[in-house]
Amino acid sequence: MNEYRYDHRTVQGFILSAIFWGVVGILIGLLISVQMWLPAANFPPYLTFGRLRPVHTNGLAFGLGVGAIFGLSYWIVMRLCKRPLLFPRLARVQLWLFNAGIALAALSLMAGYTQSLEYAELEWPLDVAIVVLWVMFAVNVFGTVLKRREQQMYVSLWYVIATVIAVAVLYLVNNLALPVSLTKSYPVFAGVNSANVQWWYGHNAVGFVFTTPILAMFYYFLPKATGLPIWSHRLSIVAFWSLVFAYLWTGAHHLVYTPLPDWIQTLAIVFTLFLIAPSWGSVVNGYYTVGQDWSKMRSNYLTKFFILGITFYGLQTVQGPTQALRVVSQLIHFTDWVPGHVHMGTMGWVTMVITASVYYVIPKIYGTEIHSVKLANVHFWLVLVGQLLFSITMWITGIRQGWMWKATDAQGKLVYRNFVDTVAGNYPYWHTRTLAGIVFTVGMLFFVYNVLMTIRKGRALERQAAPATPAAHVTAA
Amino acid sequence: MAGKIYSKPLAFSIAATLAVLAGSIVMMAYPMLRSDMHPKVEGLVPLGALELAGRAIYQREGCVNCHTQTVRPLQSEVVRYKGNRAAEPSGRYSLAGEFAYDHPFLWGSKRTGPDLAFEGWLKSAAWHVAHFENPQSVVPRSNMPAYAFLKDAAVDGDDLRAHMRTLRRLGVPYTDADLEGAAAALQGKTEMDAIVAYMLSLGKAVDRGGKGGLELDLEEKNPVATDVAAITKGRQLFDAQGCSACHGDEAQGQEGVAPSLIDDAFLGAKGDLPDAAYFGMIKGGSDVKRQLGRPGLADGGMQPFGSELSDEDIWSIVAWLRNQKAHEASEGHHDDAAEHGNR
Repeated sequence: MNEYRYDHRTVQGFILSAIFWGVVGILIGLLISVQMWLPAANFPPYLTFGRLRPVHTNGLAFGLGVGAIFGLSYWIVMRLCKRPLLFPRLARVQLWLFNAGIALAALSLMAGYTQSLEYAELEWPLDVAIVVLWVMFAVNVFGTVLKRREQQMYVSLWYVIATVIAVAVLYLVNNLALPVSLTKSYPVFAGVNSANVQWWYGHNAVGFVFTTPILAMFYYFLPKATGLPIWSHRLSIVAFWSLVFAYLWTGAHHLVYTPLPDWIQTLAIVFTLFLIAPSWGSVVNGYYTVGQDWSKMRSNYLTKFFILGITFYGLQTVQGPTQALRVVSQLIHFTDWVPGHVHMGTMGWVTMVITASVYYVIPKIYGTEIHSVKLANVHFWLVLVGQLLFSITMWITGIRQGWMWKATDAQGKLVYRNFVDTVAGNYPYWHTRTLAGIVFTVGMLFFVYNVLMTIRKGRALERQAAPATPAAHVTAA
Repeated sequence: MAGKIYSKPLAFSIAATLAVLAGSIVMMAYPMLRSDMHPKVEGLVPLGALELAGRAIYQREGCVNCHTQTVRPLQSEVVRYKGNRAAEPSGRYSLAGEFAYDHPFLWGSKRTGPDLAFEGWLKSAAWHVAHFENPQSVVPRSNMPAYAFLKDAAVDGDDLRAHMRTLRRLGVPYTDADLEGAAAALQGKTEMDAIVAYMLSLGKAVDRGGKGGLELDLEEKNPVATDVAAITKGRQLFDAQGCSACHGDEAQGQEGVAPSLIDDAFLGAKGDLPDAAYFGMIKGGSDVKRQLGRPGLADGGMQPFGSELSDEDIWSIVAWLRNQKAHEASEGHHDDAAEHGNR
């Protein structure tokens, strides 16, 4: 037991908020997956696919993703700096503002207030709120790091710092807009330039929300959960710098064969291929770390979450660069292959690592054990099966539809001239995707139940201990 | 030596910032200074008031989540999404310059429904209204939700003037007259009118250099008029080319979408047309219709099929239409007789 007290309440607040928004986002994902094959499941004007899809993506990227990043980064920062947050009250305000912001974001998107930029849909007043939130986060991270009681900064701190910096730059530039009213604005960039800025942002939002902070968790919680030290410190240094350097060059691979100047497309493709190296640096490091004692896969229930997570990260970071190649892009771009790809990363890598980290943190807050390892194992297998079924189904139908779009006869005429013929073939696959989503959702509900039961157990323990040390877990100085 | 940076947060943060900025500058900031990022095309005009109102609705409804607006320079794509009045092959796919006034671009990333970059060339206003109201009525098996509620909402001229003023500040060349005329242009219009106007504007911001119309010899006879094999083939082509989606399964037309091709008042004017006129309209679309002085639907939603069908194929379709017309004429008498009988 350390002599310091950490602000666990704020960490737990962020984790529970993230879980709440995660459930909302996943349920909306289920609804829009049904809307893909059942138009009658649209309820205009507020609950149509067009308005709900951003609620799903923003809800999960910002609600679940950023919520978990705030909470778990604070945990990591406090532990690695061996001190409480420098501004615990600010973090508490940040927690409330975060929840108010996400709630307003969801409502505003359903009302149709949108900038029409993917993952940057929110209109300008909410953009301002997000910037304020990020500044609060940055102040606490940098403040705490500057006043740390541990000389050396561990690799997880590097990734947290890089996340704070990169997201700030990306978000500020891509959301520059001139307001018409409180609910409508026009982005300052136009046409091809607007496309280039958007995908520089869009791809790096993936890089610095779904990659670097998740790697911070991976590098911290994998050794903590298993008791095995990271295999190579040197490899983590090389992988870190090459990742944060190379990521920002790659966004234009989303615009292959569009009117964007060719040189930008080509340069982006080249850097995208290079990005395999640093990504796999972390994959190798993860594997060799657990490779020091593979029996942990059996004896420690969290190990398999991290190993499967980093495996999907590895697959994701090979599949992504493959998709960037012109010959592949022309076939699968705009098809369901791409949601299949994204969901391997989000369901397979991001949620695996976040849920495993939460399983580690929540019992630690109360000095107890997880409610049920058995339920955690059920959760693991359900989300694994759900995710694989989802992604593989979407890859198949993506190739199928891409091929039908391209099919021409000997005279160069389209074989499937009616577009809807190529859509109709998606229906059985879209049914399967909804099924996969249900399996995944049930798995996540096991996780939520397990976490809540652990907290309940922890609170009961606290009450028993209360007379001796009142409010032991509360904010410390 | 280099290891020291991991115990110096300030130095570390500066190094990380530089690493992040390097790619951002080369790939995002520097291209903004280059002319190839701001291409200009001759005669590009910004959207009119009603079209711009429609674009705002397109954004609000999140259409961009399912529809792309960029035709890639791939053979199969150029054939499918015909901007095909283009004189040059390079005009048949999306050009960088035609998006210069798009704040922001709406190219999208998912093609659940078809690309809309050249939609203005492909469908009529009537088709769009019918489709927005109930997509499955014109495209069975489609998964698009219905947007009938757009008919009940009015568009606001004052609000739109503010949109245009904002865009003008961003460099879109709206004139004072455009701004003042906004209210009048939107007078009495619904959101449905606006989004349909936007659909019809797509792909038309640029003069693609092709000329409409054909040189027609109205005396020319159908070489396959009585060929049974050709008539059968014509029927098959009618279905395969999607003609029935607008004109109905038996070419009988669809109320408010597309006219009957087999009645006595073809395209709004009484009296029959020679086979060569049918041939020309299939080959050259609405431009030929206007050339022939047939009023038809005001906006002219007939798309040209000359780039996809051989002359012989088109003559086969004409042969089937003629056959169908003769068939309907005799069937029609029976129906009339039956109705009279019932009364």
